[in-house]
Amino acid sequence: MAVIELKDVSKLYGFGDATTLALDEVNLSIEQGEFVAIMGPSGCGKSTLMNVIGLLDRPSHGNYTLGGKKVGRLRPNQAAKIRRDTIGFIFQSFNLLPRLTVLENVALPLTYKGMSQTKRLKQASQMLERVGIQNREYFMPSQLSGGQLQCAAIARALVNNPKLIIADEPTGNLDSAASRLVMELLSEIHKMGNTILFVTHNPELTRYATRVVYMHDGSIVHDEKTPLGQVAGKARRALYSLPKTSEEDDMAGVSALMKALPDKPAKRKPRKKTTSKRKAVKK
Amino acid sequence: MRSLPRGHIKAGLDSMRRAKWRNFWTMLGVIIGVSSVITIVSIGEGVKQQISGQIHHVGSDLITVRPAQLSTGESAGATNISLLSGVTIAGSLSSADALAVHNLSEVAASTPLSAVPGKVQADNGVYSAGLVIGASGDLPSLLKQDVEFGEFFSNGDDNEYYAVLGAHAAQKMFQEAVPLGRSFTFHGQQFMVRGIMKSFDTTPLSQDANFNNAIFIPNGVAQQVTKNTATIYEILAKPKDARHADATVAAINHKLESLHGGAGAFTVLRQDQSQTNSDAVLNLLTSLVAGVAAISLLVGGIGIMNVMSVSVVERLHEIGIRKAIGATNRQILGQFMVEATALSLTGGIIGIAIAAGVDAALRFFTDLRPVLSWQIILLATGVSVIVGVIFGSFPALKAARKDPIEALRAE
Repeated sequence: MAVIELKDVSKLYGFGDATTLALDEVNLSIEQGEFVAIMGPSGCGKSTLMNVIGLLDRPSHGNYTLGGKKVGRLRPNQAAKIRRDTIGFIFQSFNLLPRLTVLENVALPLTYKGMSQTKRLKQASQMLERVGIQNREYFMPSQLSGGQLQCAAIARALVNNPKLIIADEPTGNLDSAASRLVMELLSEIHKMGNTILFVTHNPELTRYATRVVYMHDGSIVHDEKTPLGQVAGKARRALYSLPKTSEEDDMAGVSALMKALPDKPAKRKPRKKTTSKRKAVKK
Repeated sequence: MRSLPRGHIKAGLDSMRRAKWRNFWTMLGVIIGVSSVITIVSIGEGVKQQISGQIHHVGSDLITVRPAQLSTGESAGATNISLLSGVTIAGSLSSADALAVHNLSEVAASTPLSAVPGKVQADNGVYSAGLVIGASGDLPSLLKQDVEFGEFFSNGDDNEYYAVLGAHAAQKMFQEAVPLGRSFTFHGQQFMVRGIMKSFDTTPLSQDANFNNAIFIPNGVAQQVTKNTATIYEILAKPKDARHADATVAAINHKLESLHGGAGAFTVLRQDQSQTNSDAVLNLLTSLVAGVAAISLLVGGIGIMNVMSVSVVERLHEIGIRKAIGATNRQILGQFMVEATALSLTGGIIGIAIAAGVDAALRFFTDLRPVLSWQIILLATGVSVIVGVIFGSFPALKAARKDPIEALRAE
């Protein structure tokens, strides 16, 4: 049974003429133990999808089942408890609290669970050992490098033993060495049976994933399984065609990645006003 | 769940540590409010205790006769005035009244106290710091106040030009501590100094406050030099048997009423009764000023609310992170409430410390003896906690209800 089951999930922002469709009837099913990369240009709804899956946001329409439980219409406090117990977040900008030590940051989710101080600090320390920065546990976040910060953030995401880990561009602020470190860590976690979703702009990183999902304008336009250690086929095409992105494409907001993708499925409904303009330019 | 509050307390205290100065300015309102309320109340309490201490000293059986009717209770306007100014203006007691009281069989000792107007010409110029008071030889025993040097004039000296000085008056008039045998001029007569009183324990707001500056002369002489115009503002009397104080009061009342033809233009009070009256005045004054000071507590609370509101906006990102990793609305609410309460409680404690310092300074530099009771400390602590909870709840609710995505996006 799928861990994540999205059925016709839409997300609308604003109202009246200013309505924006961030997710357009997305259907997605993710099995336990999958390592899913989500790719797509800026503004395609990746982050919104992550927020909906991570229960930070509620879908406007559609059903969302997480671990067999319907969670599409939860109240904020119920959602907070599920986030606390079953979801770990990793952010692009690390998002550690600057005034707490690394150890306290990692222990924070356990605080909200109500665990005693000694117990949670011990557990946090073990988790830091696992990500390899136990020798930095009494440092303040400002004293760590980007890679170490992200390792600490991963430790924080893991400390609750979550079923699902959501990483929104975890390597976006890191250099390639640190990126590799972080991704190796994530794939290690994946090998232990966790389900991981991550957003990336870097096609290279799809080599860690077991499945790649491409999004465009709020819909999933392509979904492929990929063997571990290999760059996904479509992504590879985007990777090697990157220089081909012309100035004209930039103006139109089309990335090389999208040009490399096959056309949208035919069943899609006609575009809304805001998006039709873009299409006109493309022609 | 038991360590949950501790987590909030830690989160709250952590963010307090960050902005020490801003927190100090925030707490300032509460600090000023708490310290002024406590100082005022402790001064009031101290004065009350001093007065009752003095009454204990002279004995609660001392009976005071004052002119003007005194209605008991809060509406005792006439008493309040006489109490504050020290000397009653409307005098309807005469030397005959004083003599009548003195001659009553129930009365062991008595003295009139008369304010004698006139210029005192001492060695080094006019002495104007204190009153000249006409009294009888019973005064020291009635007030249980010893003469330090020399002796008090006796009841038989009523027509002698003798004087006994208050401790301060002696120093000021003659520049020496023991000017025994020296003399001064009053109403054209030479008065010889026979004795110096021991220093009176002064009590703020009480009539005895000026006894240290006073010059006591025999009442007979006082009436003689002023041609019977010296106003008797008080008659002090002591019953033969302390257990029959009430009967003595009744007897004095009866005697004076018959002398005045039934018109009750005077008041006979036991010492403990006159205390009730001064307590009423003091309580009124204290609560009035304390009420004004309490307003600054309110202002302090509003200050805390403002700073917390700003803090919530500043820390939106932190709120977002905390919510993303699983903090419920109540946990965020708790964190900010603890922070506000810790701020105002710390302010309250600093305020109490300042008030204690001010009280100590007052004890050292003035005659006031403020009393810092544990009740008022407890009350101040409680009030500052309540201020924190009330004024912290609005910003804390605002923080708790933030949308996590919106909060995460903020920087």
